[in-house]
Amino acid sequence: MITAGIDIGSVTTKVVIIEKLNSKNYKILSQAISPTGCEPKKSAEETLKNALSKIGLSIKDLRYVISTGYGRRTIEFGNETITEITCCAKGTFWLCNNFGIKAKTIIDLGGQDTKIISLDDEGNVVDFVMNDKCAAGTGRFLEVMSNVIGINLDDFGTYYTNAKEPVKINSTCTVFAESEVISLIAQGKQKEDIIKGICDSIAERILNMLKQIEEKDVIFFCGGGAKNEGIKRALEEKLKKEIYTPQEPQFVVALGAAIIGTERYQNL
Amino acid sequence: MKPNFWIKICSKCFLCKYVRTSKDKTKLKYKVFNKIKLFCPICRAANYSLKKIETTHKIDFEQRYKIEIIKKTDINVVQNIKETNKKILQLLHKNHNRPSTISYYEEILTSSLRLDELKETKRNGKKIIGTFCIFVPEELIYACGAIPVRLCAGSYDTISYAEEVLPRDICPLIKSSFGFKILGLSYFELCDLVIIPTTCDGKKKLAEILNDMMPVWILELPNRKNLTKAKTFWLEEIRTLKEKLEKFTKIKITKENLKQAIKLLHQRQMIFRKLYQLKKTYPLLLNERDTLLIIQASFYDDIKRWIEKTNQLYNEVYSLTLDSKHLNSKFSTQNITTQPIKLLLTGAPIIWPNYKILNIIETTQATIVADELCSGVRSLYDTTEVDDWSTEGCLRALAYKYLLPSTCPCFTESNDRIDKLLQSIKDFSVDAVIYHSLRLCQLYDIEFYKIKTVLKNYGIPILKLHTDYSPEDTEQLKTRIEAFIEMLKNKNQLK
Repeated sequence: MITAGIDIGSVTTKVVIIEKLNSKNYKILSQAISPTGCEPKKSAEETLKNALSKIGLSIKDLRYVISTGYGRRTIEFGNETITEITCCAKGTFWLCNNFGIKAKTIIDLGGQDTKIISLDDEGNVVDFVMNDKCAAGTGRFLEVMSNVIGINLDDFGTYYTNAKEPVKINSTCTVFAESEVISLIAQGKQKEDIIKGICDSIAERILNMLKQIEEKDVIFFCGGGAKNEGIKRALEEKLKKEIYTPQEPQFVVALGAAIIGTERYQNL
Repeated sequence: MKPNFWIKICSKCFLCKYVRTSKDKTKLKYKVFNKIKLFCPICRAANYSLKKIETTHKIDFEQRYKIEIIKKTDINVVQNIKETNKKILQLLHKNHNRPSTISYYEEILTSSLRLDELKETKRNGKKIIGTFCIFVPEELIYACGAIPVRLCAGSYDTISYAEEVLPRDICPLIKSSFGFKILGLSYFELCDLVIIPTTCDGKKKLAEILNDMMPVWILELPNRKNLTKAKTFWLEEIRTLKEKLEKFTKIKITKENLKQAIKLLHQRQMIFRKLYQLKKTYPLLLNERDTLLIIQASFYDDIKRWIEKTNQLYNEVYSLTLDSKHLNSKFSTQNITTQPIKLLLTGAPIIWPNYKILNIIETTQATIVADELCSGVRSLYDTTEVDDWSTEGCLRALAYKYLLPSTCPCFTESNDRIDKLLQSIKDFSVDAVIYHSLRLCQLYDIEFYKIKTVLKNYGIPILKLHTDYSPEDTEQLKTRIEAFIEMLKNKNQLK
């Protein structure tokens, strides 16, 4: 049985197509990612087509399609819409089982939302926190900073490790932090130090959110922000424990949606 | 000497005027000869009570530095408000299972019907008195022949105008309400007087600003309602309010008219309670949006008509419960295969047309069965229980009714509120609690932590929605609410 999960996020649209092998095992057949842009519907269709063409299938072969994420209601060919929080929990639980770890807390650093999700032993959502409507502590914050310094987000990790005298970014607000970084550059601070400051600032915001729910051990870090090695290290330093990141953190939610799709199809 | 003689002498004496119009002359003793020639003995005897009145009637604000607040005019606002109302009504009309009587409440809240009626009554010499919160005894206002109107507003469209005077960082309710005044719109403009209880910092300072535009009275609330001192103080406040109202309306609040007013409001609360009890057994009969519509129409409407219409509504809804087919179809039209998730709504007031979170919640597979909002059930639930029908007895009963059962977070303790929440959770077999918190309403925000922790110990999940009147965060709220309901559904299935 083949199902698809479509995660239409604020920045990128992700599609994961899976096949159910046996009771608890799935095989990821294909996945695709593209920027959402201002036409989420079109982008979702194209991303799905892209993913399908990789394995030579068509929409008809999909038994169940679940859309999730910000633009979940924009598409018309889906069977159901489910929020990214439930999907993220599902995807994480399956991935972690494969790795043989039991994640209890998920940090999902997305484009415009940061979510902390607390799971029970069976992978059900027990509690969750989301950032307010402001962009502080989200992927958007990182993007803005990356533009200001002119360094690609993927390179943040290397710069982070090379920092010698890290600076402190005091503003939580994205707009204020931007001007703060500009003035730091003007003061002649090293890029490495500023980048460590930025990563620390985001980690601080995430820690504040973590405090709002019962922080349990085994922390799983996903979403686009998890690709950023710098933030992962900053979080690990502050929490003083290891954080797990999947190989492709952006696809966790779409994967979860596809898994829920299989479950739903069986219950029909 | 005969009293007539003195009245002649005293014709210019303003005290006499007062005595003749409002005091029972026969009770006064004329024996005492007045040494002060200007005043007749009647006045002298009345002097004491007059002094008392003078001290209590001192204006609430000295206004040594009166400023002029320039009113704004904008035709677009009226249009915007109308459109907002229309949009929300359209959403409400998507639900086909509403009782037909509900259209009356819609009319009260959205059309100018009641506004025109009030304009007419005002022309006939009746006073219209604006109130905030639920601490102003409406019984006293009705007793002296005036009409109370609750001015707490939920309109986003007026906020930007209020922000020209008020700071950006205060709660949207205050800004929205003040916006109506500065724009000269709606019920606010009709009010001859506004009574503001000191429930929060915002209301206190709003009173001062507002006082430069119209008469404002302060009703000072104690911070600790359970202290004997506080009760005495509050009773004194109510007594003063009575005297002030008498002077303002020139109608004396007697035992009889006060009793009448108390009975009238009692009747209103009782019919509402009946409806609320029915909702306990049939949570899907009326959704929260309609319940708030009914309650909030009572803020403005003619009380007798409201009672009559609500009686009608009750009968209509009650007959539906007898028809089990209808109830079943209700379940099916909402696509609920299993029991819907039952939610309790609490926190900062949700006032028409700020139906943002209600619209989101009630289009998911959940239903709000009960609320603990001061703009909701709380405003119509408590009744005045009088055991001594003397004026003093009535005043005491009134004072206690408005103070003791209140679960407003403006008091230092939140125990009563937690009691009430736990009781409602039990009564309505609630699955989870939604905590509405308005931006910059610190009191509700602060109480959240304690309530969350207590409810968690009872195994009740709680979701806090921190938002304001602006529609910009609708999508985020949607994700939050839907995820919460998915979580609850999952939990219920596991059971």
